[in-house]
Amino acid sequence: MKKNIFYLILGFIALALLAIFWYSVESFTPLLFMIAFVIGVVLIYLTYRRVDDFIEDERSARITEKAALRTFQVFWVCFCAFSIMAVMNLLYLPRLSREHWFDRQSMPVSMEIMSPKIIGYIQLGLLCLMIFLYVGFRFYYARKYGDWETDEE
Amino acid sequence: MKNKIKVYRAMHDLTQEDLAKSIGVTRQTILAIEKGKYVPSLDLAFRISRHFKVNIEEVFSYEDEVRTVGID
Repeated sequence: MKKNIFYLILGFIALALLAIFWYSVESFTPLLFMIAFVIGVVLIYLTYRRVDDFIEDERSARITEKAALRTFQVFWVCFCAFSIMAVMNLLYLPRLSREHWFDRQSMPVSMEIMSPKIIGYIQLGLLCLMIFLYVGFRFYYARKYGDWETDEE
Repeated sequence: MKNKIKVYRAMHDLTQEDLAKSIGVTRQTILAIEKGKYVPSLDLAFRISRHFKVNIEEVFSYEDEVRTVGID
């Protein structure tokens, strides 16, 4: 299979996933999109394996490796910093709160540091950040290892 | 790391594309190695030198960066 056909199939899969995502949001069926996403990724992987004019040599593998590693290094710090907040939400027990401990007559008040919706938005933002980081690092390392070098030849 | 790939290519009348194809890498990789932007692995260095039928040290040479500041 030629590289261009692969990109075409990739575009179709992306469009199909977008349509399924839209439908999932409209009909509130997240499971549908989750399954479609996994199938989409598997399809992309299987199609990629059939492409025969992709030359992946050690330099391109190194660029991918370096970009992925740097993305991971930045992403896990951001993700962990945010997750601390989410974990606090999860672990906060009103019955063990200081107010309730000193005044047993008071009703334990349930508190939320952040609403689940906001947590969802931030997670979405972090995922987008990861994609942008990866693309950025990929450009950086591709340039560093001479991807856009020109020659007299 | 310095190399004489360009010289050997000229001696064998090979283009970057020809050399890249015969050793299974991209033309961009050959260009990056020639320009010193990318240091090849030992495996690739051996493949390149074997392609030209010479020893690896005839194509690639390692040079220490000797600082001579303050030495007359």
